[in-house]
Amino acid sequence: MEYVAQLILLVLSTALIHNYVLYYFVGICPFLGVSKRVDMAFGMGMAVTFVVTIASLLAWLFTYYVIRPGAPLATWVWVTAGGNPATVIDLSVLSYLIYIFVIASSVQFVEMYVRKFFPPLYKSFGIFLPLITTNCAILFACLEIMKNVSGVPAAEVWGVDKALVLALAAGLGFTIAIVLMAGIREELELADVPKALRGAAITLVVAGLMALAFMGFAGVDTGLAKVMIGH
Amino acid sequence: MLTTVTIILAAAVLLVLAVALSSILGWASSAFHVPVDLRIEKINDVLPAANCGGCGYVGCNEYAEAIVNEGVDVNLCPVGGSTTSEDVGQIMGVEVVDSWPQRPVIHCVANREQRYKQSEYRAGELTCHAANMVAGIQGCPYGCLGYGDCARVCDYDALHIIDGLAIIDYEKCTGCGKCVEACPRHIISNVPFKAQRILAVTCSNKDFGNVVREMCEVGCIGCKACVRVHKGLITMKENLPHVNFDAYDPKLDLQEVQNKCPREALVWIGKPTEADLRATEDEELPRRAEADFKTTVDDAEWRG
Repeated sequence: MEYVAQLILLVLSTALIHNYVLYYFVGICPFLGVSKRVDMAFGMGMAVTFVVTIASLLAWLFTYYVIRPGAPLATWVWVTAGGNPATVIDLSVLSYLIYIFVIASSVQFVEMYVRKFFPPLYKSFGIFLPLITTNCAILFACLEIMKNVSGVPAAEVWGVDKALVLALAAGLGFTIAIVLMAGIREELELADVPKALRGAAITLVVAGLMALAFMGFAGVDTGLAKVMIGH
Repeated sequence: MLTTVTIILAAAVLLVLAVALSSILGWASSAFHVPVDLRIEKINDVLPAANCGGCGYVGCNEYAEAIVNEGVDVNLCPVGGSTTSEDVGQIMGVEVVDSWPQRPVIHCVANREQRYKQSEYRAGELTCHAANMVAGIQGCPYGCLGYGDCARVCDYDALHIIDGLAIIDYEKCTGCGKCVEACPRHIISNVPFKAQRILAVTCSNKDFGNVVREMCEVGCIGCKACVRVHKGLITMKENLPHVNFDAYDPKLDLQEVQNKCPREALVWIGKPTEADLRATEDEELPRRAEADFKTTVDDAEWRG
């Protein structure tokens, strides 16, 4: 029960309270660039969800087995090469490099796969995939996972389940934000905006107000945690 | 010591990763290869890549696909004109039938002073689209509103509002047809320019002569003088002469037709001839001095 409660809290916290776009301000480029029409925005949101899930899975695997201090694979290589088993191998310096590397190539792979076997799907969101290959929201999710896998006490290390839930919630939060934004911008087309504020300026103002509105969720998770888990 | 170990291990990890990922991607690109008709790519190279939609397809790539897969005509690209259609025709191995460059004509020549009884539209959004919803604006219910919806959609800076009237710069115009769609009064139409200058009807007023005379200095009064000179070429429809561009031939002597027109509703459109330029060289055109403040911020798009 506590496990489920933790997952629910994680989803709430990632998707709404600490929304990647409106709380951390990562992934702003697609948020402002592809939010002119609701259907395009939804496609972008789906593509981000898809990519962030794949990226998080790979990021967790690499962080857990290769990057973190005392990671099994890196240690095995070191010991096989004749090193001292007592030495703690720490490849954390590689985290950014490996994340970008792995995300970029996995997205490329998925793009080719989808193009070959699901042409309609490729037509609908294939164009978004290269755009978000190295998007900062994706990298941010990977770094968030790294924060909870490497350098924390053994009992608190995240399993792959939590990494995947985090990724799905991050994608959901991004989709919510960008679709809301697109809805507002569609209405904005008909509004009498002062000349100096038209275009980019009013978009940024709207984004700021949305971020303020999302501030209203702050503290919901601590309250819920008290009710559901008891501390 | 430990630093050296980390460096060596890091280098080894990245090397293994690079080899593994590049071989996977290399295998995937051949295993998942989607055969694309080579002609599509060739046609794509020939097309202007303006993605303006003038051909009726979403972009140049879609048009190229339609040519190859559905056998669509090769002369639909208004921007590239005859040179492009010849190149595309060569790739597809088809003969190109005559294709004239399509250029828009604004069927109104009345500038601000030439319109009578005008009540200027000043409320709300200053766009033609908004102004067109209000009755009795700008005098003539058919003519140019002069708020520049067409100028705003033009990607080539070829349309400008001068003295409350849209004027096309044919040097810059590519005939993509965006202005034709933008005009809420539908007074812009794309016509085939069979010569550098063509004769066109530049009035859209369907009212009778006495009504037109009251509201416009230059509008067509439907006197049919032009029809009498060239029966086959110009026909009357709803009090307005229409030039039949299929029958239009630049070799015809049409100056006579224009001379017959008592108004300025039938005018030469396009490039002025050398003689015209020389004739008007020393004439001073009265221009009302007016502030023309425009920033580029309004049309700025976000590209992340």
